Amino acid sequence: MSAPLLEARAVTRRYRMPRESLFRAPPVLTAVDSASFILERGETLGIVGESGSGKSTLARMVMAFETPDAGQILFDGQDLGQLSAGDLRRQRQRFQMVFQDPFGSLDPRRSVGWSIAEPLRAIGAENRAHRVAEALEQVNLHAADAEKYPHEFSGGQRQRIAIARAIVTRPELIVADEAVSALDVSVQAQILNLLMDLQDELGLAMLFISHDLAVVASICDQILVMQHGKSIEQGRATEVLNAPTQDYTKSLLIAAGA
Amino acid sequence: MIELQDFSVSFKSGTALRQASLAIRPGDRTGIVGESGSGKTMLAMSLMGMAPAAADLSGKLVLDGRDMTGADDRGWEALRARKVAMIFQEPMTALNPLRRVGDTVMDPLRLHLGLSKAEARARALALFEEVGIPSPVERLRQFPHELSGGQRQRVVIALALACDPELLIADEPTTALDANVALRIIDLLVRLAEERQMALLFISHDLAAVARATRDIVVMYGGDIVERGPTAEVLTTPRHPYTQGLLGARPNPVAEPRGADGKRPRLPTIPGSVPTLQDLPSGCRFSGRCPVELPVCAGTRPGSTLISATRLANCHALKQEVSA
Repeated sequence: MSAPLLEARAVTRRYRMPRESLFRAPPVLTAVDSASFILERGETLGIVGESGSGKSTLARMVMAFETPDAGQILFDGQDLGQLSAGDLRRQRQRFQMVFQDPFGSLDPRRSVGWSIAEPLRAIGAENRAHRVAEALEQVNLHAADAEKYPHEFSGGQRQRIAIARAIVTRPELIVADEAVSALDVSVQAQILNLLMDLQDELGLAMLFISHDLAVVASICDQILVMQHGKSIEQGRATEVLNAPTQDYTKSLLIAAGA
Repeated sequence: MIELQDFSVSFKSGTALRQASLAIRPGDRTGIVGESGSGKTMLAMSLMGMAPAAADLSGKLVLDGRDMTGADDRGWEALRARKVAMIFQEPMTALNPLRRVGDTVMDPLRLHLGLSKAEARARALALFEEVGIPSPVERLRQFPHELSGGQRQRVVIALALACDPELLIADEPTTALDANVALRIIDLLVRLAEERQMALLFISHDLAAVARATRDIVVMYGGDIVERGPTAEVLTTPRHPYTQGLLGARPNPVAEPRGADGKRPRLPTIPGSVPTLQDLPSGCRFSGRCPVELPVCAGTRPGSTLISATRLANCHALKQEVSA
């Protein structure tokens, strides 16, 4: 049996806070405290929690932007913390990230095509123009849009561009951090449907991070609820939503309009 | 007490708010929902006398029997804080980071009500207690960065309440807050409105928040009010095609297992996107995206159709259905 696509084994990440006194050790904030999960190919895991719960830190460790202080992130069975810089660069095309603010993550002075090709340049891929055109069409934009600039697009279209940039390397995993949170309800539904379409067509697995349990319910197979850096509830989406065991999960359900 | 009659806000590029009519009475809790470009914030800013200077206002805006449509800043200055106050999405930007929050709250008390320093402090303390800030005596001396997001929003609410306004406008007051904190802030606003017989205008794109905070709801699209009525009724049985589309597109916190083909059920969507101000259709603003569109819709603005004694929607198709 092959390894799961992504596995977190008791990952912990601590940050040193500013020193309060010259004579005392600086306080330590445990942003993620021994979190574990398994994500299979083609499935979606939703990580729900509020600001400061550690969900974004967990995402950055999955993306190998940060290294855990303890525990491991295994991508396709390989410990990301043990890879050499060159191996990590080669593996990177297999997992990509979509951020919340598409305006902040696209360079306003560069054409959209240039931004989408960025991860391809990083891995020295050939045939870049063709792959950019393909990615634009996969997110229901036009190949000709590559020549345009970010300000020519609406918020929803910019989020499509950010998704095109994430899928242009033909990854197996997409990490979406609050990817639909800044969008209006009707645009949000269109983007969620697009992510589901891409998952069906490309067999993508998704790590979907959000504070909104309703959004997570619409797209996830599994749910992990985080509070104060700890995973407090975890399971199949049906179980967590139909029979939450934690008061905190119940309050998230009320806030989401249950 | 505050009334809009065919009130419009226009710019060179188009009409941001078109002939809005709305009456708010003491103790009303009214929600305004709509997406970007719906005109909801333009409506709120107009009620504060803060419509952009470049805007052309027409129709009537009556506050306490006075027509304020053409009023200048000086005319508004006398009414703001005492008649109408407003709280915004991001409490950090509403508070001066270099001043103790107690001093910030005491400013309007001294300026508008002419209280002495000691009187203002006693009143600020009472306000902090009223909005549920724990250890209010210590909090008065703190700076905004020393408070949590929820505490900061409570300070901003205390500031807005300082001169006992008759109407409190809350523009996306919970959007920047965590879910648990947001629920408590909503419950606080409801309690304050009830205890003070103060009207609350709650503007949000968050339907769950509006459902909890308000009794009546106004739905806006493209600068038009398209539907209104009791919140619970409109949200459970929406009649305007846009309201139906909006509620359909909002995911529910209910498990959606994959189908037999291994695929996940898709969310219902509204086709297309909101047109820009200059591209809005002249008739019904929703024409071009509407699933039940009639030939008349693109060119003729629909009037209000009475659905029940308390419910209205502006839709040609609905009018035909109701009169048939």
